[in-house]
Amino acid sequence: MQVVAEGFNAFETQKSPKGEVKFLGSPKDVIEVVRSGKLQDYILLVRGGTTTFLTPALSMGASGVITMSGAPESHLGILSREFQIPCVMTAYLTSSESRYAVGNTDDAHFEEIADTLVGKTVQLHCDDAEVGRVSIVS
Amino acid sequence: MSLEMTPGLRSTYKQRYEPNDDGLRFQDLVFEGNFVGQEPLRDGILGDKVQKQRAKSKVLEKVSKEDVLVDQFTLDELNDLNNYLAWNIWDVLVMRATEGVSGMIPRQEYEILAFMHQFYRWPEVLRMTTDEVGAQGILDIGASARREIGTKVNAVHDWSIGAVGFGMGRCGLLALEAIGPNDYIEESNELLKFMQRIEYGKRQDGYILNSQDRYRCQIHEPDFLAGIINQLETLEPGSPKHDSFTRFNAAAELLAFLDHMDCRLGLGDTGPYELDNGNILILRDLFVNEPIFHWSDVCDDAGLPHAYTIAIEIDPEILGLQEIRVNDISTTFTRPKNYIPAIVGGAVFAREQWDTPMKDVRSIAIDDLGGELPKIQDATLKMYGKVSRMCRRDLIWAGQYVYYVDMILPYLRKAGTYEKACDEYQLWEVDQRVSNYYYDISKRGFAQEVVPQKIFSGQGYLPFGEGADLRRSKYRWL
Repeated sequence: MQVVAEGFNAFETQKSPKGEVKFLGSPKDVIEVVRSGKLQDYILLVRGGTTTFLTPALSMGASGVITMSGAPESHLGILSREFQIPCVMTAYLTSSESRYAVGNTDDAHFEEIADTLVGKTVQLHCDDAEVGRVSIVS
Repeated sequence: MSLEMTPGLRSTYKQRYEPNDDGLRFQDLVFEGNFVGQEPLRDGILGDKVQKQRAKSKVLEKVSKEDVLVDQFTLDELNDLNNYLAWNIWDVLVMRATEGVSGMIPRQEYEILAFMHQFYRWPEVLRMTTDEVGAQGILDIGASARREIGTKVNAVHDWSIGAVGFGMGRCGLLALEAIGPNDYIEESNELLKFMQRIEYGKRQDGYILNSQDRYRCQIHEPDFLAGIINQLETLEPGSPKHDSFTRFNAAAELLAFLDHMDCRLGLGDTGPYELDNGNILILRDLFVNEPIFHWSDVCDDAGLPHAYTIAIEIDPEILGLQEIRVNDISTTFTRPKNYIPAIVGGAVFAREQWDTPMKDVRSIAIDDLGGELPKIQDATLKMYGKVSRMCRRDLIWAGQYVYYVDMILPYLRKAGTYEKACDEYQLWEVDQRVSNYYYDISKRGFAQEVVPQKIFSGQGYLPFGEGADLRRSKYRWL
């Protein structure tokens, strides 16, 4: 297992979804992916850790989520547990020194993560109580 | 059956209720606040204990009805409440500070505007409401929650009067240097006294906050609770019925968040209540249709009630429950975190309007939730489409109204003063000072960095000065 990213694990689960990483940058992106009929083919990558941005995707059955900020106590952390959707939060690249800090994170941090993950097929590993991991499948 | 959690872990959560127990740590961070030079505070039960030890007054101990009916706090009491709320806010919210931007709703921006608006405008409206129904009447409004479900007279709203309107509102204005530490003391007393009376009436154990009682919010009268417990249906973890129940809960919760512009005013938990079989019960109100918001028209169209109430029975032994917190923003957190697979029973209720009599609240069989879920999904998709088309300014002011109006709405409704507040006090108008702050909050990272940093660190909650005049409002702009 080649772990490329780690973060807070929203909840421990043996579910280990795989899919192509899809970055959602705007509500329009969210609506498009829900309407595409391919929602469950993707692992969704989002910048923020709040819930409402992802509302239709969660409600319509997303299979896995990676966030670049947020924690299990956030709205999204709560809802990922309620929906039982595996979720790795405040993910960082294991190959990079860059880490998210509130109010002190420039765009390069988020862009580096997106550039590394988007389009790759990954698997989420959320069986640890605290740490969620992202591995490359192809 | 896979429980997807630590196998063989035995439940120890009852130890958390023993007097000498200091509780678990839910976070590694520490809080300094106004206790500069002293050992930093920790989260949870231990933090509450130390706060009580450091208090100069008895206001954090169990208070009496006579204490609550007194109109004026002392200066020490005001400062003890200020310090306690600063810690409590950190305790329940600091992990959320990592959330970053929403991508859709500018929440930090609307929050800070609402905080300041509340501090300026609520005191007059709450004083009018107290004048209308009397101090005992405010206690009675709090007590109404003991025999109701689907009521917004709940922990998050009650806490917000003091923690948000007074605590964060004052903190934001201090950070903006719009006020000084000794300004608006009279108004601060008004806010905190209203909160204390509502909370005392609701809890009736002398405490006002859940954190003072090891994160318990066990407010319902036993005979009222029995009527709910009698309707619990058995749920086999992993069964289709279990999935239907948990999915309904999640979908309704998500819509409740969205209807309240990405905040927890749409959600209210009470409990944990211990059942005769040793399991625990959480009662969760989900307000999926708040009619004062114009964007709730899609909820009307979908035929949704004002609130669903979900009764959730959890087996603590399946979970290996170590600690459960029903915190002061009405949200339940457990360790281990994921209690969903340990849900073994449930019931669902619907309250059509905020004032629908309890005898008319209808129960929904779990087998019938399949017919209810599409209504929620329909409203959710339509509301998302509607909100995603709103411009930034509209989103900020919409969110501002959610905080500024909804956080005191339940009390005004119960007191019968909501219409008066709208008509005579122009509740829905935006104060000119706050309107002007709209242009300041984007400067120098004020909304997204300065205020959150001061609010979450506790550094911004400056105490009232020694010897300050309790009658003091603000007398000069210099």
